[in-house]
Amino acid sequence: MAAVIRRNILTDTAVRDAYTSGVNLLKREHSSFTTADFGIAGPAEPVRTYDLFVIWHVMAMRTAVPPGGDSNIRNAAHRGPIFLPWHRVMLDLMEANLQRVLGDPSFGLPYWDWTVDSALDLPSDSDFWQPTCMGGSGSPVSDGPFGVDPANPQDPNAFRVRIDVNSSLALINRPPRGLRRALGRDASNLPSAEDVTAAYDSDPLTGNPNLAVYDFAPWDVDSEGFRNRLEGFNPFGLHNLVHVYIGRDMGLASSPNEPAFYLHHCNVDRIWEGWMRRNGRHYLPDQSAPAVLLGHRLKDPIVSPLGSSATPESVLDSTALFTYDVLP
Amino acid sequence: MDPEGLAAAATPAKLGGYLSSLPRPPAHHHTGPARTVRTTLYDGHRVVVTTTYEITVDGRPIGAHLGVDPNGNVHCHALPAYQFLSALDAVKALIDNYPDEFTDPAGPGPDAGGHGGHGDHGGHGDHGDHGHEHGGG
Repeated sequence: MAAVIRRNILTDTAVRDAYTSGVNLLKREHSSFTTADFGIAGPAEPVRTYDLFVIWHVMAMRTAVPPGGDSNIRNAAHRGPIFLPWHRVMLDLMEANLQRVLGDPSFGLPYWDWTVDSALDLPSDSDFWQPTCMGGSGSPVSDGPFGVDPANPQDPNAFRVRIDVNSSLALINRPPRGLRRALGRDASNLPSAEDVTAAYDSDPLTGNPNLAVYDFAPWDVDSEGFRNRLEGFNPFGLHNLVHVYIGRDMGLASSPNEPAFYLHHCNVDRIWEGWMRRNGRHYLPDQSAPAVLLGHRLKDPIVSPLGSSATPESVLDSTALFTYDVLP
Repeated sequence: MDPEGLAAAATPAKLGGYLSSLPRPPAHHHTGPARTVRTTLYDGHRVVVTTTYEITVDGRPIGAHLGVDPNGNVHCHALPAYQFLSALDAVKALIDNYPDEFTDPAGPGPDAGGHGGHGDHGGHGDHGDHGHEHGGG
């Protein structure tokens, strides 16, 4: 099986159309599971394959590290070193599912280089938010492949959000609804190319030497290092800022409901790959770290269906699976 | 990672089977007022800062919990990518991003009895009918 190439969604219309088509196919594919299988209160409703990824993301976000701790401090997918490896595994599995439903093993998940759009007078004018790609703002979104046409609001094939969370982070069963976005409402712009350049700058004269190191104790949102710079907590920006810029469904624990989620995270993964090209494929913490960090250490299994075969160490070099057309 | 192993795992049966086997999280993620404890050692002194938020909207306690990150920013797990300088800003963002929970201020919301799906136990207890915050970010 040859490695696929991940390309820029705004410069390759074929991969753009394949992605939007594949997402809608996964949205319509019944998984054979119901909401009751995941402990979601209310009537047992069928769960589509796409929505399994939403449940996975929420469950990982609610899994505290260490067990019994506070998932607000560090959880199985965010706010710590595992952030980049966990999302890499999620992207890999989404990509493989898209290959399956598209019948195309050469399909590579595209990325959205939001730094280009940040240079526009109004980033929401980007081709990314036009009806040929993601569609635009709305509650619900009313154009593009994931919109609900106001002239045909009962269209059974329209994109619907079926797995929701409430503000207590409980998975809930509400009537299907349209996707919600508020582009530029909660943040006026996207991260710039200069922001990404600065995240790589470990020159002591112009940048921060700690950015040449993947992560540091206390391994949370207060850490120095590249992971936390890219996750966007220290300082606020990059990954986090893009979620906030899009807003609404993209701002919640159930953010994989938003199809732009995967295109955004593919770009985050590309930026990580660019960092490894500069600094080597290294990761911290290693196994000498205390067990309180179980799930974030180099050889710990990632919370995923791949079991012990997916660890931070095993995903550092993923060139057998994919490469990027261009690295930053 | 092994490409063949990944392709074999790319089925709804694999992912759904895995997720359904995980321990069920409690129905409610949090109970009681949101409380954050930050500790540090400074010049030989042990410092403990405890921050508690008790927040109501339209007289009802909210289900979301706010905390304070080690760097002093306010964080809300219900909005995981956001950071706030003010708890008031955090609550405004909750209202914007959870429209199903904060509906008509004059009438009961979709989770009548308490914001954030706490309707079956009346929210965070009796904190009175006005919101206030202790401490800050």
